[in-house]
Amino acid sequence: MSRFKRAVLWAALSAVILLAALSIYGAFIGAERAQAFFNSLPLAVYWFALMALLIAGIALFRRLLQVPPLLLMHLGFIIVLVGAMWGSNGGHALARQLFGIDKIPQGQMGILEQTQENRVMPADSNSTRELPFSVRLKDFRMEYYKPGHLLIQSRTGQNWRVPAEAGQTLSLGEGLGIVTIRRVFENFRIDIQSDEPVAHDEPGGSNPALEVSIERSGTAPGKRYVFERMPGHANPNDPLSMSYSRMVRDYISDLEIVEDGKVVAAKDIEVNHPLHYGGYHFYQHSYGEDKLGEYTVLMVVSNSGLNLVYGGYLMLVAGVFWHFWSRRVLAAVRSRRMMTPETAGRDE
Amino acid sequence: MAIKFTVQGFLIYVTIAAYLLAFVAAVTGRRRAGQTLFVAGFLAAVISFVYRWCDVRHVPLQNLFEVFLFLGMACYPISRFCRRILSIGGQWADMLIGAVVLFPAGFVFNAEPMQLPPALQSWLFTPHVAVYMLAYIFMAKATFQAAGQLAGPGPGIEKTWLPPEQATYELIAIGFPLLTLGLVLGSWWGKLAWGNYWGWDPKELWSLASWLVYLGYFHWRYMFGRKHPATNSLWAITGMAAIIITLLWVNLSQLFPGLHSYAT
Repeated sequence: MSRFKRAVLWAALSAVILLAALSIYGAFIGAERAQAFFNSLPLAVYWFALMALLIAGIALFRRLLQVPPLLLMHLGFIIVLVGAMWGSNGGHALARQLFGIDKIPQGQMGILEQTQENRVMPADSNSTRELPFSVRLKDFRMEYYKPGHLLIQSRTGQNWRVPAEAGQTLSLGEGLGIVTIRRVFENFRIDIQSDEPVAHDEPGGSNPALEVSIERSGTAPGKRYVFERMPGHANPNDPLSMSYSRMVRDYISDLEIVEDGKVVAAKDIEVNHPLHYGGYHFYQHSYGEDKLGEYTVLMVVSNSGLNLVYGGYLMLVAGVFWHFWSRRVLAAVRSRRMMTPETAGRDE
Repeated sequence: MAIKFTVQGFLIYVTIAAYLLAFVAAVTGRRRAGQTLFVAGFLAAVISFVYRWCDVRHVPLQNLFEVFLFLGMACYPISRFCRRILSIGGQWADMLIGAVVLFPAGFVFNAEPMQLPPALQSWLFTPHVAVYMLAYIFMAKATFQAAGQLAGPGPGIEKTWLPPEQATYELIAIGFPLLTLGLVLGSWWGKLAWGNYWGWDPKELWSLASWLVYLGYFHWRYMFGRKHPATNSLWAITGMAAIIITLLWVNLSQLFPGLHSYAT
């Protein structure tokens, strides 16, 4: 091996060790600072140097060109780096200057139900920018795991968890009585009928609640309502505090893309299922309610460079399995023959 | 630390006991008994995993408890695969790995069943975690072989198996593609769930660091071959150290207050 080739190999090994060390450093400073760190100027120099090393490696080492899976892995790595650079903030700025492609790298947009919106608050500035199309929110909804749970805590710190289904009953032991869930409300409302307040479930809205009865020996059975939205409504003399909790199964925004007054795309997006349109992905990010109504918050992410990153991943994975597994596993499975110590453990 | 007085806990303890007895039998030369006990432990581990699956009604790979349950089950088939296909021995180490990984599941980690939050409801969830866990077992086996190489030739090494340095290499060569696939699947899933294929999260960065250590190992071994076997072994051991930190980061990060982590 020539001295130059040896130097390139040493440089590659040093680059790998340096990146491992920087990753560990990044793990200690938290995601936000790590992101800024890995996108800083000195690191940009590192990324370009790493890419140059990979290219030099492919050019210098005949073995990388002759062994297809090795070439696939190294090329895949380069393509991932190119894709990541293209999709970075710097890549977006460069695309704007060189090719006039003006895209927002990443941002958020809030949309009220039954309205449409094209303004995005970019992650890296305080002035809103506009998309060349609008996103309309037809409906936002949350789905819950059923049943929810009635959580009970005694003054002595004992905890119980009862599935929130009518008829569920639990004996809490001496002095605390028996708790029974009588009714489960989706939208709890109180009406006054013949001067008596009557609880009922009104379709449409949402005010989840439970009707719970408590029976203790020597006292009349008591009844109380436990609300999901108003925990902690407890009498200070009460030996038990109760709350109603439901776990969210999914957040769903029913979206339409409107361009030139026409609906050109539609999707119910949820976590893990974004909408892809016009060079952007739209993700369910957050939600809320104010005096104007319910709204969803979408994360908008440019797809620049993404196909390159995915293509690079595919090459990397294909190459690494081909190179390391094909001889060992496939050959053994096909021939059904045990490998001998002489043939195994060869240098790659 | 707490004993789990449940069916699940009982199954875990039975598995640990079987693996430990198998280990004792193996190192005291009772090979056949060790083999039988190892298989018995594996069957108990399978029942334990299936029991958990029925209990939580989703693939039980959500938290550290479930993941360690999986590790305790996977060590036997991997051990068998390594003996038959790769000619790699050290079965006693696999029995020990099985018992060691089940110990925190049995005594430390919380086994409260949990419903899947929205981000975990993805078909990528199972392959991403499972592939990583398989990779970790191969790398753990590689570490034992590397330690054996550093310790020098002992009386227990048989001619039928690969020598430790080569065995380390073979195991890492099997584990590394799985590690790469796990990283890529995680990245792809991150893109679908959170919008970015790389989030610079501490756990991501530790997993990248462990991947890079093995990448360094391959380049080092390409450069020097078997000229510096001790250094080759140190690479493998460093990789395992990084993996352990990656796997337990959520717990370890509590030692460094204020740090960001996934599951807290």
